[in-house]
Formats: sequence, structure tokens, C-alpha cells
Amino acid sequence: MNYLRWIGAFLLLAGLPFFLGSYYNDVYRKMLLWVTLALGYNFLFGIGGQVAFSHFAFYGVGAYSIVIFLIQLQLPLPLAILLGIALCVLVALAVAIPSTRLEGFYLALATLALAQLFVVVLNEGGAVTGGTGGLANYRLPEVFGLRIAGPWYTAVIVFLLLMTFFILLKLDRSWFGRACRAVRDNPEAAAAMGVDVARTKVIAFTLTSALAGVAGMVYAFVDNTVNPPIFGLENAFLILFMVIVGGAGRHAGAVIGAVLLFLLPFVLSPLVGHHHVLVFGLLVLGAILAAPKGLIGFYDSIRKNF
Amino acid sequence: MQDFLELAVSATASGCVYGLIALAYLLMIRPTGIINFAVGEWAMVGAFAGHILFYRFEFPYPLGIALVVAFMAVVGWATERIAVRPLVDKGAALLAPILALLGVLVITREIISVSFPPDPLPVPSAFGFGRLELGPVGGSYQSFFIIAVAALVFAGFWFFFEKTLWGKSFEAVSLNRRAAALMGINLSRVTALSFAGGAGAAGLAGLLVSPNVSAHYLMGVPLAIQGFTALVIGGVGRVEGALLGGLLLAFAEQFTARYAPIPSGYTQGVPLLLLMIFLLFRPTGLLKARA
Repeated sequence: MNYLRWIGAFLLLAGLPFFLGSYYNDVYRKMLLWVTLALGYNFLFGIGGQVAFSHFAFYGVGAYSIVIFLIQLQLPLPLAILLGIALCVLVALAVAIPSTRLEGFYLALATLALAQLFVVVLNEGGAVTGGTGGLANYRLPEVFGLRIAGPWYTAVIVFLLLMTFFILLKLDRSWFGRACRAVRDNPEAAAAMGVDVARTKVIAFTLTSALAGVAGMVYAFVDNTVNPPIFGLENAFLILFMVIVGGAGRHAGAVIGAVLLFLLPFVLSPLVGHHHVLVFGLLVLGAILAAPKGLIGFYDSIRKNF
Repeated sequence: MQDFLELAVSATASGCVYGLIALAYLLMIRPTGIINFAVGEWAMVGAFAGHILFYRFEFPYPLGIALVVAFMAVVGWATERIAVRPLVDKGAALLAPILALLGVLVITREIISVSFPPDPLPVPSAFGFGRLELGPVGGSYQSFFIIAVAALVFAGFWFFFEKTLWGKSFEAVSLNRRAAALMGINLSRVTALSFAGGAGAAGLAGLLVSPNVSAHYLMGVPLAIQGFTALVIGGVGRVEGALLGGLLLAFAEQFTARYAPIPSGYTQGVPLLLLMIFLLFRPTGLLKARA
């Protein structure tokens, strides 16, 4: 019964783009990718209590690595995916192990520096990363003789979204999810209950980073181009803001925040041009000061009172 | 050798700038535990203030510096009032003000990018362009100016923390907030002052570095990273640590850029590398806090 629900959700979400034009299909699938990223980041930040700015950089590591392994090195698709994930895991471990040994917000800073460095590596990477112009003019190879494109590729994104959500939901409801929440709320108490605080943090960081990397691999074939500006710090902040505005720690909050902040620029740009980020900043400050549980907390309190 | 000494002077100057940013972090972290990533943006605001005062209105330099620092102190004080105090009063977790200050970071940057043209804007240096030679050591006027100002600021803060009752009350709050409050120290005043001082130090750092790099709305984040790395290297316990960490980072960066056979862009990786090494092997930094 439960699995029927997942299949129903897949059919509904994947069926929708067949009725949308190609422009709206493009908007729709980018929105789904943001929702995927926000869900993963919510697990790290909202449930695990870790502030990191590297989520979008790992999205970029995934996107670039799949293009480099699959197109430039001509490796088979499964191997390219595995190598990309391995790369994300390695980088994540290298950053997380030193940063989470100590109390405090060292991870935030280390990942800020990592995100900054990632864009430098992309720009200076020469032929491997395509430099400032990035990589373009490639196509997803045929899979089992099929060329997946248009709304069919959106179905792949829907599958990615639901798979990410499924993994995170299972984790959240498992021993590990509870350990993450315990570490977030009170590290000393968690340690006293036998939770290895540093290890829990490292695993949560590495896992969500790898999920972001997989999302990046899927993203690489949405526009068939990857370039450095996409993976800059702006978007790393945006994803944090999505989770805060929607309601940190709640899956529904991440979805609401991602959809809202993704669609808001379309509404705002006639009014404020390219300066919608200013509105985002004000929204976040307002949310933290007035509604620390985000929009989903708002919804909860309304439902409770009526 | 000539090359080495030349580089040493410019590295010392950038080290002083990083040290001032680290000092800004330290002033706020010590009494409150809050890491304020907006210090980079405050440095950026200081640079733009320098552009307005010295380039557009050609203010005399000492008066201009005093004005910028005073203005930044007001900005820091206002930020604490708006984004930090309501959360502290509510008893929110430490993460809440840190995130609120990230919101402030974005708002500050966007206000500047809306108000000014996107190109880097010139800021004149204190004594114009020229070279000063002191025996074998030579460098630009601005380098020596930065070193002198930073030395004054650090000496002032060292004196403040070590020798004055006000400084002792700051230390008391950083050691134990509740005990300090019970001893009659006004916590909210210490917090407000630490933000005002932090913003002043950050704005001064931005103003000092701006003649070399121009005022640009994206200059904040790299400075925020370098300043925090300097803080981790030096240790959050002592004012001298901030300066020492800044100098070490700047030397590492500039000597890597000059002598290591890698593209110069990769020197942006030096802070990350040093940060990781120090977090792994010496997490308390070089200088330990006094007990």
C-alpha cells in the first residue's frame, strides 16, 4: 500500500510535464532539482544542525565529474556515476573530519572556503573543466538504445527527487535520524547516551553531500552545459535560505521553501529587476526573528488554532 | 633577497588586514560565542565609505578614517540591536543569531550592489603612490601605512583588555556570562560594544586594503574567509593571536603565489589548507587563552 503511494506520486509528478510546453517543462524540472537539493540540505542543516555552504559545490562536483568521466574519458555510465559519487565522498570526508572534531561552526567556515576554492578550480582547470566557459555541446549517451530527452528526462528528475526523499525519510525515521536530532539539540546529552557525535556529523555531511552530487549528475544533462557561475556561493546561500524560510527540520518545510524561493524571482523580477536576493535576505531575517519555525510552523499553528 | 624583502613587506601589510578582520571576529566571539560572517561585508562597506569620502569628497585622511570607524561602529551597534538582541532575549539557540547575521550579510551586499555601479571603484591611498626605503626593506607607502595603523589598533586593544577595568569586564563575560552578570556587569552593553568594536575593526580593515584592491561589492567573502582562518591559526583566546594568525596566513599565501609553480588563482586554497591543518593538529590555535 505504502509503495503504491510512491508509485502514484511518481506517475503524477512525471506525467505533468507531458502537458506542459517546453518552457514550462524547463522551469518545472529546475524547480524539482531545487526541491531535491533543499531536501538533502534540510537533513544536514535542519535535522543534523550543521551549517555548511558546500551543498551547491557538491552539486557542481557531481555535474562536472559526470561530464568529465562520461564524455571526456568515455567511461561507461554506471562507472562514471560511481566515480562521481566516490569523488564527492572523498572531498566531503576530507573537509568534514577535521571540521567536526571541534564544537562550534568550523564546518561553516571550512565549507565556505571549499565552495570558494571549487569555483577557482573550475576557472583554472584548463581543458579538463573548460575554464571560465565551462563544458558544453555534449549529450547524454543512449541508454539501452533509447535517447532520453524532453519530458522523459523530467521523469528521470522525478525519480531522483523521490529516491532522495525516500532515502532521507527512511534515515530520518531510523536510529541514525534520531541520533542526528539528538546531536543537533544537545551534543553533550547525545554523547552521554552513547552517540558518537563527531561520527554522526561526518556521516550526515558525507551522505547529504553525495546526494547533492548525484543531483548534480542529473542536472548536467538538463541544459547540457556546466559552467563556473552556476556553482558559486550565491546559490549556496539560496539553498540555506530556502530551508530556513520553509521551516528547518521538516521535509515539507524544505519543499515549500524551495518552491517559494524558486518561483519568487519570476514574480519579483518585473518589480525589482535582478535584486530579488535583497528580498530573500529580508525574508530570511524576518523568518528568523518572527517565525523561527518557518512557513510550515505558521501552517501548523493555524491548523492547531482552528 | 631583494625580492624576498619586498614580498615580506607586502605580506606583512596584508597580514595586518587579515589580523584586523580576525580581531573583528574575536571581539564578537569572545563575549557572545557568535561567529559573524558579515564582517567581510562590513569591510566592504568600509571600502565603499572610503571611496565616497576620499575619492568623491576628498576628505582629509585622518578625519575620514575617524568618520568611517565611527559610522561602522554605529552599523555594528544597530545590527546587534536589530538582528542579535531580540534573539538573545528570547533565549534562542546560538545558531539563530548566526543565521540572522547571514541574512544581514546578504542584505548589506545587495544594498551596496544596488547603490553603486558594478565596476571596482577607486579609493585613493593615504600618502599617494610612492616607495619608502628603510635600509634594505622597501615597499609602497600604503603598505607601511597599513602596518602602522594596525600596530596602533592592536596595541590599543591589547592595552584595553589587559590594563583597563572595561577590558576585564569583557574577559569576565567571555569566561562566564552568568557569573559576570551576577558581578554587576551589564551583559547587553558588553554585547553591543563588542559588535560596535567588531564593525569598526572590520570597516577599518576594508578601508586600509581598498587602495590596493579597489572597492567592489564582492570583496567581502574572501576577506571573511581569510580573517576567520587567521583567527583559527592564532587562537580565539587572545588579541595578539589574531595578528599573528593574520601574518602567518598572509606570508603563506603570498609566498605560495610567488614561489610555488601553480596558477595564482589556487592561492585561494591556502586558507582552506591551513584551516584544515590547524583544525586537525592544533585546534586551539598558536596562542592559548590565559586561564
